[in-house]
Amino acid sequence: MKTFKRSLRRTLAVLHARNLEYLRDRASFGWNLVFPILIVLALAVVFSGPPRALFTVTVVEGQAPDMLAFPGIEAVTASEDKALARLSRQQTDMVVSESGGTVFYWVNGNSPSGAILELILKYTESRPLERGQSDGEAIRYVDWVVPGILGMNMMYSALWGVGYVVVRYRQSGYLRRLKATPLSKFEFLSAQVLSRLMVTLTASALVFVGTHLFLDYKMVGSVALLGLIALLGGLSMITLGLAIACRTESKEFADGLLNAITFPMLLLSEVWFSLDASPEWVQAFAQLLPLTHVLEAARAVMLDNAGLGDIWLHLAVLIGVCVAGMAASVKLFRW
Amino acid sequence: MTEPVLSVRNIRKVYGDVVAVDGLDFDIQSGQCFGLLGPNGAGKTTTLALLEGMERPSTGSVLYRGGPLPKGYQERIGIQFQATALQDFLSPYDNLRLFSKFYDAPLPMAQLIEQFRLEEFLHRDTRRLSGGQRQRLLLALALVHDPEIVFLDEPTTGLDPRSRRDLWDVLQVLKDQGRTLILTTHYMEEAEILCDHLVILSHGKVLTEGTPATLIAQAQVPNLDALFLQLTGESLVASDEGAP
Ligand SMILES: Nc1ncnc2c1ncn2[C@@H]1O[C@H](COP(=O)(O)OP(=O)(O)OP(=O)(O)O)[C@@H](O)[C@H]1O
Ligand SMILES: [Mg+2]
Repeated sequence: MKTFKRSLRRTLAVLHARNLEYLRDRASFGWNLVFPILIVLALAVVFSGPPRALFTVTVVEGQAPDMLAFPGIEAVTASEDKALARLSRQQTDMVVSESGGTVFYWVNGNSPSGAILELILKYTESRPLERGQSDGEAIRYVDWVVPGILGMNMMYSALWGVGYVVVRYRQSGYLRRLKATPLSKFEFLSAQVLSRLMVTLTASALVFVGTHLFLDYKMVGSVALLGLIALLGGLSMITLGLAIACRTESKEFADGLLNAITFPMLLLSEVWFSLDASPEWVQAFAQLLPLTHVLEAARAVMLDNAGLGDIWLHLAVLIGVCVAGMAASVKLFRW
Repeated sequence: MTEPVLSVRNIRKVYGDVVAVDGLDFDIQSGQCFGLLGPNGAGKTTTLALLEGMERPSTGSVLYRGGPLPKGYQERIGIQFQATALQDFLSPYDNLRLFSKFYDAPLPMAQLIEQFRLEEFLHRDTRRLSGGQRQRLLLALALVHDPEIVFLDEPTTGLDPRSRRDLWDVLQVLKDQGRTLILTTHYMEEAEILCDHLVILSHGKVLTEGTPATLIAQAQVPNLDALFLQLTGESLVASDEGAP
């Protein structure tokens, strides 16, 4: 018990010092808050028109209708769940699937494009047709991209905020000074994690509320559940940053490593655009990236009111990343 | 003399193909001010790191009161490194508070602030401190837990003559409190004034050791500068006081 209290005292002292350092660095503090809000606003202006003029049809399985060969119709493939989810958000205009010679199709009752495609399909398709309908509201690009930007911001803040900072401490000799005190590795690392988690969650919450003042983006799900996603997402990115920093001696190399990790996530975790139309192996690879799980879970909650039961797998993956990242960091860390 | 507080027995430290410390043997008595002298690259900092337990010797052993370095050794020693960075945006006050929390029974902060005269710059960003102020802060940080042994790696390098003398006064107080001081320096005058026992190193080996007075007498030279030059055949860091 006494050791625990002592440990806690040291951890809190380092946490406090790190918080002071962060809060007093006004320039970067302000930038962390203002930057994501600026991006969201810029996107809101750029993408304020209708998403696209083209028709898109999502094919689930089987022999696709001939209609898809028409110019102006873009076909993509996806699983039935994904396809229908996209249809209800009007990100696709029609979903088709063929089995046993029957063509099943779904359109969104609120979408005029869907109605036009339905007409074309009826006149061009010789096989029997079976109709389904979905009535979801269209979601604007902004609704879709807000979780992406929040997640991206969290990724940068977490990875650089710990990864780069710890390497800076090492390069400057500060870690060596700390090594000469009774502070343990675990205490030091916990303090770094906690401090950055507080910063990341606070910043995300402020950006979330801040953008909501300007933009009425869609948020239909549970705020508490979204908070849990942010907590686990932030924590997993932070421990990833720590794992990178645990031995790296040079800031430049840390920078390179951090870029090597963030760049694939930026591209493949659906921050800016959906990967539904990309090859299977790309989508499979994306599942290895923590940000993918953060964003899929966050969008499910914000756009489709998903519950814990719908997103638990994403959360489990994030918890796994946290545990592995922290274990590796404590084990491999050198002052 | 009493039992030595620290001893090294035939220690070597090898980094790749660089032999930084090459078979040292000496004792440090309790309450002594022990000086390590030697040209740049002689192995002074490495020797300190071995004594501090920050590095392990490649071969040989470091003994604390005749035994291996004990478990709570970190708490008995205070270290002022040759170059220490502190966190950005923290004041001397914040740093003192942080380091005090690392130990179970720290000295009262007011006492440290007074002893090392930190008052006038207590709430300034540490990056804005002058060299002398910075050294006093680092020394205060090394002493928050009231250690019995204090390591000082070139504590006065880069200070003006006034600040250097100020620091000597501070070190003299530490000595009077009965602490063992282990310091490295490039200033012979400093070694002569502060140290009770000197070890002169070159290329990781001991060239000679003894009290300043015996060393000068044995070599039949006028002062330590002359002895140092004779032994190492290298020129000293230029003294900024126009010493002979
Ligand atoms: N971590 C290390 N890796 C490789 N070589 C090292 C390392 N530390 C020290 N050395 C080498 O060991 C030798 C002794 O270095 P040390 O820092 O102990 O010298 P010093 O006497 O303190 O010098 P100075 O007066 O310049 O501070 C040098 O040749 C140095 O380059
Ligand atoms: Mg040195």
